[in-house]
Amino acid sequence: MNGAVSTALAAGFVTRAADTQGPELPSLNEFLPPEIIFAGTPFAINRIILVRMVATAVILLVLGLTAKRAKLVPGRWQGFVEFLLEFVRNNIVYTVIGELRGKKYIPMITTMFLTILVFNLCGVIPGANIAATATIAMPLVFAVWTLVQYWAAGIASHGLGGFLKEELFPAGVPWPVYILLTPIQLLEIVIIRPFSLTLRLFANMLSGHLLVAIMLAMSNYFILEAQGALKGVGVLWFLGSFALTGFEIFVAGLQAFIFCILSCVYISQSLGEE
Amino acid sequence: MPLAEEASGLALFLPESYDLFWSAVILVILAAFFYFFFMPKFNQIFDERADKIQGGFDRAAQAQAEAEETKKQYEDQLRSARTDASKIREDARSEAARIVADAKKRAEAEAEQVSAAAQKSIEAQRAQALVSLKGEVGAIATALAGKILGSKLDSADVQSSMIDDAISELER
Repeated sequence: MNGAVSTALAAGFVTRAADTQGPELPSLNEFLPPEIIFAGTPFAINRIILVRMVATAVILLVLGLTAKRAKLVPGRWQGFVEFLLEFVRNNIVYTVIGELRGKKYIPMITTMFLTILVFNLCGVIPGANIAATATIAMPLVFAVWTLVQYWAAGIASHGLGGFLKEELFPAGVPWPVYILLTPIQLLEIVIIRPFSLTLRLFANMLSGHLLVAIMLAMSNYFILEAQGALKGVGVLWFLGSFALTGFEIFVAGLQAFIFCILSCVYISQSLGEE
Repeated sequence: MPLAEEASGLALFLPESYDLFWSAVILVILAAFFYFFFMPKFNQIFDERADKIQGGFDRAAQAQAEAEETKKQYEDQLRSARTDASKIREDARSEAARIVADAKKRAEAEAEQVSAAAQKSIEAQRAQALVSLKGEVGAIATALAGKILGSKLDSADVQSSMIDDAISELER
């Protein structure tokens, strides 16, 4: 049996032997759930999209009510929401883009931060148990938004030609270097930036979910199936899953923060020097 | 779950079209919510709060200015009141001095009058006394003469007693 377990461990989440009685480790299929509504149409909905929709409804309801009932003297909850808003405004937008130019990006970054945060937190909410950002489409859509915004910002402040010249032919570089640099820069502003944003967020949610799921699967297996002292190992796995769940909450906030910070950095670069 | 059913890792990174569709729809809904309702509402709250705080500062400054003004007025009034009071005191003092001086003068005049009247009365009484003395001396002299003649000077003793009587009557 030990052999089976170590096989399962070694094989990790990617595969597991069909005939073992080892723990039911999570698989990548959890990130490619079957379509459950409108299957086969372009409007098909799977489990993760459903989680996403519920999370959206919760955001609309909770923040909508908060805004509607917002008072001049805030209560505890409103104070917390205002703290988040001020954090996004002061610590993300104003720090990176600056107060004057950053003002018009506050709604965008606020939308991004609060949405990604809540979507990420779905990964540790019982019942959802998977981050709403855990398919590539959602991070991709956010990243495309950032892409559109930093192109628009560049074009608005330098004109299309000026923006491209600034980005593709950085000043102060001897011209032969452009042969190498310009294609890389082009790749950077068209592909690399949005995809690095997308992959960073997606991969974090994916790995976080897998880690917590493996921990729980292992504790489940050891506590229920193992004999004698090995049950203690299950307890260790269970404690580990607690720690990792806490870590996931931290990562949820951190990744939302990083996504927004980088979006601001790209926009700020497009706007150029003040 | 057999190995064959495991999706290839690559599928994870190829977005499904329906997934993209719903993600975009959700993002548009959320962005609309934040852009057109949530942020304006909270910006309004923030602005109102800032206004209120700024207004509070302004009002406090105004109140202070008013207090300053009132204090100045009060001090002015106090100063003029003090001046008035000292003027009144000065007036009163000089008035009092005048009254005292008047009273003294009048009293002196009266005293003089009284003493003059007394002098006159003494003068008159003396004159009257002189007149009445004169009359009485005459009468006594006449009586004495009569007595001397009446007793016919019988003896030396009679004579002397008669003289004594006359003298004691004079003395009275």
